[in-house]
Formats: sequence, C-alpha cells, structure tokens
Amino acid sequence: MPDITIDHQTITARDGDTVLEAAAGAGLDIPTLCYFEGNEPCPSCMACAVKDAGKDIFIPSCAVKAEDGMKLECETDEVHEFRKTAIELLFSDHLGDCISPCQRICPAHLEIPLTMKLVGAGKLREAIVAVKRSVALPAVLGRTCHRPCESGCRRGTHDDAVSICSLIRHVADEDLASGHGYLPPCGPPRNKSIAIVGAGPAGLSAAYYLLQEGYACTLYEQSDRPGGTLKELVKKGELPEDVVASEIGLIEKLGANLRFGIRVGSDVSLETLQQEHDAVLLSIGKVEDSDIEAFGLKVTRAGIQVGRESYETELEGVFAAGHAVRKTGKVVHSVADGKTVAAAIHQHLSGFPIVGQAKSFTCQVGKLQEGEMPEFMKEISEAERTSPAAGQETGFSFEEAVKETERCVQCDCRAIDTCKLRGLAIRYGASPTRFDGDRPAFRKQVEHPFIVYEPGKCIRCGNCVRIAEASRESLGLTFVGRGFDVQLGVPFNGTLREGLKKVAAECVAACPVGALALKDE
Amino acid sequence: MPELDLTFVEQTVSERGPRPEQVIPILQDIQRHYRFLPDEALQRLCEVSEITPAAVEGVSTFYAQFRRRPIGRHLIKVCNGTACHVKGAPAISDAFRTRLQIPDTDDTDPDGEYTIEDAFCLGCCTLAPAVQIDDVTYGHVTQDRVSKVLRNFAEHEKQPASAAPANTSNGKSDGEIRICLDSCCVARGCGSTHEAIYRSILETGVQADIKRVACPVICEETPLVEIALPDRKPVLYPGVHESDVKEIVLGHFRPRGIINRFRSLMSGALDQLLTDEVWEPVARYSSDVRDPPVAAFFGPQKHIATEHYGRIDPLSLDDYIEHDGFKALGKCLDTLSPEEVVSIVEQSGLRGRGGAGFPTGRKWKMMQAAEGKRRFVICNGDEGDPGAFMDRMLMESFPYRVIEGLAIAAYAAGAHEGKLYIRAEYPFAVERVKEALQRCEEHGILGEKVLGRDFSLELEVFEGAGAFVCGEETAMLESIEGRRGIPRLRPPYPIEQGLWDCPTLINNVETLAVIPWILREGAEAFSSLGTESSRGTKVFALAGKVTRGGLIEVPMGITIQEIVDEIGGGVPDGGQLKAVLIGGPSGGCVPAELAQTPIDYDSLRQVGAIMGSGGLVVLDETDCMVSIARYFLSFCQYESCGKCTYCRIGTRRMLDIMDRLCNGKGRKGDIEDLESLAGLVKAGSLCGLGKTAPNPIVTTLKFFREEYEAHLAGRCPAGKCEALVTYSVRDNCIGCTLCAQHCPVDAIPMTPYQKHEIDTETCTHCDTCRQVCTEDAIHVE
Repeated sequence: MPDITIDHQTITARDGDTVLEAAAGAGLDIPTLCYFEGNEPCPSCMACAVKDAGKDIFIPSCAVKAEDGMKLECETDEVHEFRKTAIELLFSDHLGDCISPCQRICPAHLEIPLTMKLVGAGKLREAIVAVKRSVALPAVLGRTCHRPCESGCRRGTHDDAVSICSLIRHVADEDLASGHGYLPPCGPPRNKSIAIVGAGPAGLSAAYYLLQEGYACTLYEQSDRPGGTLKELVKKGELPEDVVASEIGLIEKLGANLRFGIRVGSDVSLETLQQEHDAVLLSIGKVEDSDIEAFGLKVTRAGIQVGRESYETELEGVFAAGHAVRKTGKVVHSVADGKTVAAAIHQHLSGFPIVGQAKSFTCQVGKLQEGEMPEFMKEISEAERTSPAAGQETGFSFEEAVKETERCVQCDCRAIDTCKLRGLAIRYGASPTRFDGDRPAFRKQVEHPFIVYEPGKCIRCGNCVRIAEASRESLGLTFVGRGFDVQLGVPFNGTLREGLKKVAAECVAACPVGALALKDE
Repeated sequence: MPELDLTFVEQTVSERGPRPEQVIPILQDIQRHYRFLPDEALQRLCEVSEITPAAVEGVSTFYAQFRRRPIGRHLIKVCNGTACHVKGAPAISDAFRTRLQIPDTDDTDPDGEYTIEDAFCLGCCTLAPAVQIDDVTYGHVTQDRVSKVLRNFAEHEKQPASAAPANTSNGKSDGEIRICLDSCCVARGCGSTHEAIYRSILETGVQADIKRVACPVICEETPLVEIALPDRKPVLYPGVHESDVKEIVLGHFRPRGIINRFRSLMSGALDQLLTDEVWEPVARYSSDVRDPPVAAFFGPQKHIATEHYGRIDPLSLDDYIEHDGFKALGKCLDTLSPEEVVSIVEQSGLRGRGGAGFPTGRKWKMMQAAEGKRRFVICNGDEGDPGAFMDRMLMESFPYRVIEGLAIAAYAAGAHEGKLYIRAEYPFAVERVKEALQRCEEHGILGEKVLGRDFSLELEVFEGAGAFVCGEETAMLESIEGRRGIPRLRPPYPIEQGLWDCPTLINNVETLAVIPWILREGAEAFSSLGTESSRGTKVFALAGKVTRGGLIEVPMGITIQEIVDEIGGGVPDGGQLKAVLIGGPSGGCVPAELAQTPIDYDSLRQVGAIMGSGGLVVLDETDCMVSIARYFLSFCQYESCGKCTYCRIGTRRMLDIMDRLCNGKGRKGDIEDLESLAGLVKAGSLCGLGKTAPNPIVTTLKFFREEYEAHLAGRCPAGKCEALVTYSVRDNCIGCTLCAQHCPVDAIPMTPYQKHEIDTETCTHCDTCRQVCTEDAIHVE
C-alpha cells in the first residue's frame, strides 16, 4: 500500500488507487470536471490537476496511480492558478448563458425562465414561490415595472419580447385571488429588531425578507397609510388600490409591525431608533438634502451616501435604500434594493462582511451572430406576442399566460445547478471572459425525443462517446475532426435521435456541463 | 447521380479482414480506389466488417489524408513547410486560388478540375517554395510563375510516361552513369536528365550502364550525375540538365561503331548551330575540379547513417550486401547474445534521434527486462516536422539499412513482429520500404529464418494517414490499433504496455540506420565521434537562407557556425545570419550571436533550443522572428489532437495573440499573457506535442523580445508582416516596367521610363515587385 504526501499530509492509499481516489479516501476534496465514475479515466480538462513536487510536473489526479513516496501539492496558489486557467480556457470556447439575459437585466434578478416553465406547466403555486424569492410586490411590479427584462429578452430579436411583466402579474394576481396568498416560511426569531423608516416599496420589500430571516421589523411611516410612492401611482390611476393593499397585507400578515404618523427626525430621533433597534433602514424615498444632513449623513448627487454593495451609511448599523439613494425612483429598483439591503443587514447582524446580494456567476452568449436566432427558435412557439383578450386591466387568462410562456426561447442553461464547470469557476474565481477569441456559433440540436444538445457548451470530455461505445449503440457518437475544432457528432451526419437510441439519459447524466440536457417535461 | 459500385469495399475487406484495427488501411484502399471516401462506401464498410460507424467517422476525420468530399481531377499541394513558408508559400497558395477561381469557402474550382490543399512540408525543402500537382513537383515557384506551372502541368499530362528504366545493364559496359531518382531529385529535374541519359546511350550506342543511386544529399546542386569508370575516381557533375547530358556522356564514353560516332558528332554540331549556344569544355562541370563549394559541402561531414550515399542503388539487395549490408545482423545472430548487442549499443553512447535524445541502449535494456511473450519493435518513420526530411531520405535511399537496424533491434528485444510506421506524405518511401521488405523475404533475410539462422521476424509497413501527433509514440500505437491518434497517458510506457498491450520497442528511423554501423564497426568507433554527452553523428536537413542546402551528416559537437558557413556556404546574396531554427516546431531558435554553440543535446538545451528531429532552417535579416514563431505555433495548433485543454485551447489562444501582433492589433499585456500561457501550456499538456509547442515562442521571446515589442507598437522591423508594411518605389527607379508587368493585382501602372508608383490600396504586399526589381528600388517599411 503506497504512502503518498498531499500538502504535507501523509495518506496511505490502497493498491491501484489513483491519486484522486487516495485523496478522496482521506477526505480531501480534489475537484473534477471531465472525470466520470465508471468510465476509464481519460484526462483532458486538467481541473483535477495536482503538482507532483518530486518531478516538478502537473498530473491529472483522476488518472495517475498513487505511487509510494509521491509528494503532491493540491491546495497551493500555483495549483489553484493552474486549475483556474484551465477553466478560463474552457470558458473561452464555451458558449451559453448560465443565467438568461432577462434575469441578468432584471434589477431584482427575478427567476424569469423558471417562472415561465412553472406557469407553462400550470404550476402557479410554485411559480409564486419562485417570483417571491426575488420580488416582494409582484402584483404591483406586474403593473408598474418599466420592464428592462423585456428589452433584454432574446425573443425580441426574432419578433417581439415575451410579455414577461404581464406573466408575472398573472402569477401574482392568481395568488392574491386565491384568498390565501403565499406566505413564505419564516426562520426562528432571532430576538433582534430592525427599524425601517418609510413604508414604501423599498422598506416593505426589506421587511418581507428580514422577517423571513427571523428579525422583528417595525416600519415607521410618517403618513397614515403604507405604500409610499405607490400611493401616487394609485392616485394617477396606474395601480388599483386593492392590489397594493392586498400585497402589503401579506407582508403585515408575515409579521411586519406598521406604525403610522411618525416622522423620524421630529417625532422620534434617529439616535433613539438606533438605541431601540439593532439596525435602522432609511427607506424614506426622495427627500431634501438638508433632511439627510439633519440625520448626520453625507449627501451625494443620488441621495444618501451608502456603500455600493453594503448599502450602509456613514453611521454603523444605519442603512439606506430605494429612491433615498438613487437619482430615479423606479419601483423595481426600490423593490430590488429592499431585498439586497435585507441581505446586507442580515450579514451585518450576523457578523459577516457586508457584501449585499451575492452576484450569480454566469457566462454570456452576447450579441447574436447571423443564423443563431433560428437555432434558439427550434421547438419554440412561433406565435405572436399575446395581448389579453379581456383587456390590459384584466390581464392574461390562464390559457393566454401558458400560450405566452411557450414563446420563451429558454436562454438559460438547463444544467445551471449541476454544471461542474460553473461550480469550478465559482470555486476558483475564474473569469469567463479572461481569454477572448472567436466564439463558436450557437447551435441547438433538438431532434432527439427527450434530450437537447448544444455543441457550444461541450468541453470534449468524451464521456458520452465512451458510454455510447460501451453500450454498442448502432450508430453511436464519436469525435469528429481534431484539434481545436474537434466536435462531438453522430457518424454520417446522423441525428442524435439515430445516434443515441439506448443510452441518451446516461449520456446526459455523464455530461459535466449542459451540452447534453434533458428537455423540459 | 449514378449508383456507386461498392464491390471494391467488399473486396478490400475480404483481403484485409474485417477486424476493427484494419480501419486505416481499409480507408486508404477505399480512398485510393474512389479518390475520396464516399459515404455509401463507408456505410457498406460498416455493414461488411466489424468496423463501427463511430470508428469510421472518428478516424476518417482525424487524419488529414482522408477526404470525405469529392476531389478535383488534379490535386495541387502547396507546401507550407518551414523553408517554403519563409520563402513565401502562403502567397503562392493564394495565387493558385485566384488563378483557378477557387472560392474562399471551397478547395476545388467550379469545374472540378483542380483541388488545392496546403501541405505541412512535402519534404523537399531545398526546392522551396515547392508545389506538387499530382505526382509532379515544382520547385522555386513564385506568384507570377503560377500560370506557367499550370501550363507546364497541362503539357506534361499529355506526354507519355517515361520509358527509361531505372537501371540498365548490357553486361559489357565501360562504366556506370549514376543518378538519384528520389522525390526531391525528380522534382529538380532528375527525371528528364535521366531520360536524356537513356536517350543518348541509345542514340550514341556507348557502352554505359545507368544506375539509380541513393540520395547524393547535396540537394541544391541536383540533378547530380556521376560517371564511374573502372579504376578511375568517379567524376561528379552538379546541375546537369537535359541539354548537357550528351556532352557529358560523350566526354567519358566512346560511341561504338563508325556510324554512331559520326552521327553523334554531326548532331552535336547541329545542336550547336540550332541552339546558338556555345559549349564549354565538359571538364567545367566536374565538381572536384571546378566547383570547390561542392567539395566543401562534404568536407566536415561524416557518413554513417548515409554511408555510401550517391553510390549504391537503394533497392538493389546485391549492392547493399556488397557494401557490407546485413553483416552486422549476421554477426549479431551468430556471435552475440541479445544482452551483448544491447551492451554494445549502450557503450556506443547512441541517443534516440527522434528528438528527445533518450539513450538507446538503456531503452533496449528496459525492453529486455519487460515481461511478455508477444513483443514488438516499431520503426518510427512518421517524420512530420516541417523543415525536416532526413528520415524520408534514409527510408528512400537506404531502406535495407533501416530494415537491418530494425531487425537487430528485434533480435535484442526478443521480438518476432515489427512495423515500420511511415508518414502518409512519403509515398515514395512507403513504396521503397515495402519493396525492400518483399525482397528481403524472398531472399530469406526476413521471415521464418532470418539470414537462415534460427530467428524469425515478420516486418510490415504501416502507412500513416496524415497526423503529426502520431510521431508521438503512444499516439502511433493508437493509430496502428485503428483509432484516432490520441496519445496515451504515460506511464505505462510502450516498453511495458505498448502495441496490443505487449512490450513494444519504438525507435526512430535515423537511430535504427546507425545501428548496423555500430555493430559492424564497434561501439568505440561510434563513441569516438561527437562529444562527451552526444556521441556519433547526426543527420540534419539544412535549408532556408543558405547557399547550399541539403542533407548533411555531421559529427556531434560541430558548431552552428561551421554548418552554416563551411557546409552551407553561408547566407546567400551577402545576407547576414540572424538565427538558426533547430528542431522544427518543437524546437527553438539560436540567435547569430550564439552561433558558436556546439550541436549536441545538452548545449542546445542550455540555450533553450532542442535537437529535435533535425531540421535546421537558417534565417537572415529579412526574416521576422515573430512571424516565424507564429508559423510554428500555427503548425502545432493545427496538429494538436484536441484532447488536453491546455493544448487544444491554450495553443489557440496563444495563436490569437500572435495573429494580433502580426496584424498590428496587439494589445497591452499581450506579450505577458503569451509568456504565461506558454508556461502553462507546456505544463498542462500530457504529450510531447503540447509540451513543446510553446518552445518557438519561448526562445524567440528570449532572444528577440524587442521584435515582439515592435509588433505591439505596430512595426515589423524585418518588413515581413503584411499588415504592418507598405510598399513604395525609391527614386532610383529606372522605369523598366518589370514590376508593373509582374504585379498580380495591377497595383503598379505601366509608366515606361518614369518612376513607378504603387497604389497602396490595391497592393497585397505579395513582394513580387521587390523580387523582380533589378535596381533595388522597391522600398518596404
């Protein structure tokens, strides 16, 4: 039984073990990418590389056998940089959007593609859960949002963007109309309270997420009703009063304590709030500079000066969000801010560094090239953008909503949660754009009854090729060409349907990225 | 479309057998028969054999030799080897395309007449730039000669094939006329010289034998004809063309019979009258007397692998045996145990000539120790470095010597089966080695009883199919086993687990070619040559900016300077030596200031280059190091098998940077990125190709960093990178219109007796004007 050293730790491996197996046996976590248990190792990706310090070379740990006396380095900067660059090189030839453009553009990063799929499948309850993970006031936003998501919608390149906003509204309206609107579960009380100054969209939204984390929230509102800027929209007739009331009602039901007619600064001082609460959030909308200075805070051209990610003001434990820190007062920004500042406050009170909402890693297709839009449109409804037959005021019927979701071209990656390449990029802080070069063209093969193949995502690990070979598929898969241009393909220009008759699902399971994926049910 | 007759497919399968490992030879048969691989034929192949569709698709698209689309009636191969590249090959490819109206997206003209493809080295570097149309090679092709080449080919096609036999003998001759008919010699006109010799013998009736001989290795001077008369020193004539032949023949041989003698006198007189050429005395051609450079070329050389060059008939078994052939093999079988053979090879200090320089004796010893009943020896003849053609020459000129070396290796290794893996681009070498093997079998030299002794050995040729990476020994094994040439992870090494998992000894052609000499002359004779760490001799292909190129075999330890100046005759046209590229795309450059570096494994490694397989390309001041490095990188990038991330994508990203630099689009940080990627690609590739691919970048960065910086700033100091230069006419222009006549894009208006002007908008930087200008009036900056 060979003894090997990994990062100064001596490990006794079993005879015949690879370095990877030996390390795993000792509880060490060497990452893998192209490796697939059950296949003969065929190292190509170099994500599992470790350094053989004795020979001064990098070796793929998945394939090299542990030999007595090996001295290996696994978690050094050099090894990390080596793995990271390999990942970055793979990204330079990896075409896809982990996260769809609409979701990236949405200030609240609403999970739009997921919501589309759930609506399409008639799962409205699950859809409202997904929506409310990002947006506390979807029925309001569904009517008032300036819809940046739709301007980024790829379907717009083909004809018109998907009617995302109306779909979100449909989900939220159906939820409210059900009489038992969705209330998310709240964590156990933390015995900490937050003072939220101003019951507008930002403050309400922050309360919604802080309550879920187990914080007590008291909203101090100077007027006699909640809503802030929403009240003006109601007055203008852009927003029905009952919708606002119902959605705020749900936040109250979740446990928000609303106190009206209290103006902070005159009725109660900021210092008092600081003393009585563990943190203060100023979601006070647009106010005069002098009012901000009166709180002892700094003023910028946008409003109250706060940290870019942290939303924290000069005063420790005092945060500000929404129109109070922005030049313009778009409702969606305020709603998004509410969620982000809630995360920041939670981090502050938990003793973590305040980074706000973690940015989700994504690579991007970017601007489409000629001939790519038709690829996206494969198996997608050619229908025109739906207008609600009953008029804008009523919104979509369920059938109309489902029909509209079928127009979504599904830009997001089906494998976002399982993609090993993405996981590694996050683990090593890899930049998907460090190496730029000619990107492959976007292609999508959908002929197979239940799997989709996107060649641009393939990292050429060959797992599927070997599985198909072992199962004696009559046509099977193979690598076509060589070198940089090598591609996965079906012999004689066959389709995937002909190539994978037996083991399509196995191939999908073995694909470390989203090149082969199951179609939506 | 008429239905394709597929009986051939069935026929070849029944001849070769249905096993999966036959896929490459069978595909080669199919391609030879149909001229490409029709899908119907491949599908039939899968039906009638054990070869799977996945294997057919994977293999046929991996190897460059295979073609899945119909091909034009003629195939033009434009050589883009190193020597051809530095002499302007890319522009020639473009010129053919323009002339034949081949669309950018295709490789065949609309009439289906010509298909054009780039070849990474046809192995005739001294002819650079070289173009091959079907089986005819054209040397020194320039852009404006493209039309002439095509016309010439069309005429050639109408002519009947040569009737002249390679060897003639009438039993009572007065002497021999020797001529080499190897690939590059034929390309340089040896074919027509040969025919002229045959004709003049018939016409004049002289009693002379023609003898085809092994490569005379001084390629720049071919066609070389040597006259050997009994008891006299042979006389060598360089540069003999059709029209010179009769004079030479008559200078040495007396025509028999009055009539013939008269006729030859008369026709000679007539020739003079008609051609209006003044004949100088024949003696003028003799190289010993009048051409000291030719003698100098051979001066510092020492011939072991190329022993008896230019003297023996490559395919004559008698000739080889007469010149000590198979003596060493006999000696081994009769008097030496395999262990003793290995110990002699070990004592000789021979190191592998394929590139890495691993001690051959040690490798053989490890092979002896390896366990396994079935064992193999393989001769690695997959020489693929652009700029190298030593192995081709050795296989074409000395096939028996390579076979003898392999047989001795087999005896030492205890192997009874062996293969010679020969590169697809060397059809001539394949043909000769196959024929030599057949003759050996017929004469009991190979087979059940090797040389009649109690040792059996079966050898066969395996033709490569166009993948440089298959020179890597584990990729070669994959290839022989019928798969895509993807290198295997080592260990296990082929010695432990090689072909079909059996112990396999793989040696390079040149290594094997010196083995018989070592066994015959003794280890000491070999180890007394060369240096402490690098014993013996090394064959190099000397090409590029050198007066006399060719194949040279020199003792190790000779300096680069000596090779360039004494053997090569220095840089031509008064040029300045800038650097020498050694070791092809895996090697590096040695700058002029280090020209005193001795050529041995360790000295070269110290300066950052490697011996490689032996391409030596000389560069002068007009060569751009960035562009050369880019060229080498593009080669390795193209030849990458595509498995390891760092090689597949890393070399491509490096090439992206090099492209930017050469196009004047460099970005800040590009040089640093290039450097860091170079290190990572070396470290992150699992086989030799990827590990060495960055070498040219690394060494040029080391010695010529200022050129990279100049490119980053938008300048090409050598004036080579098209995007970074402009062409203009200096005031010393005499208005001769030569440039205007030759400009392929009419960028120079015809203005006789006036200074010409170049329209920089139209100009494609093809450099033709500068080349044709007699006044050096074209300015490039």
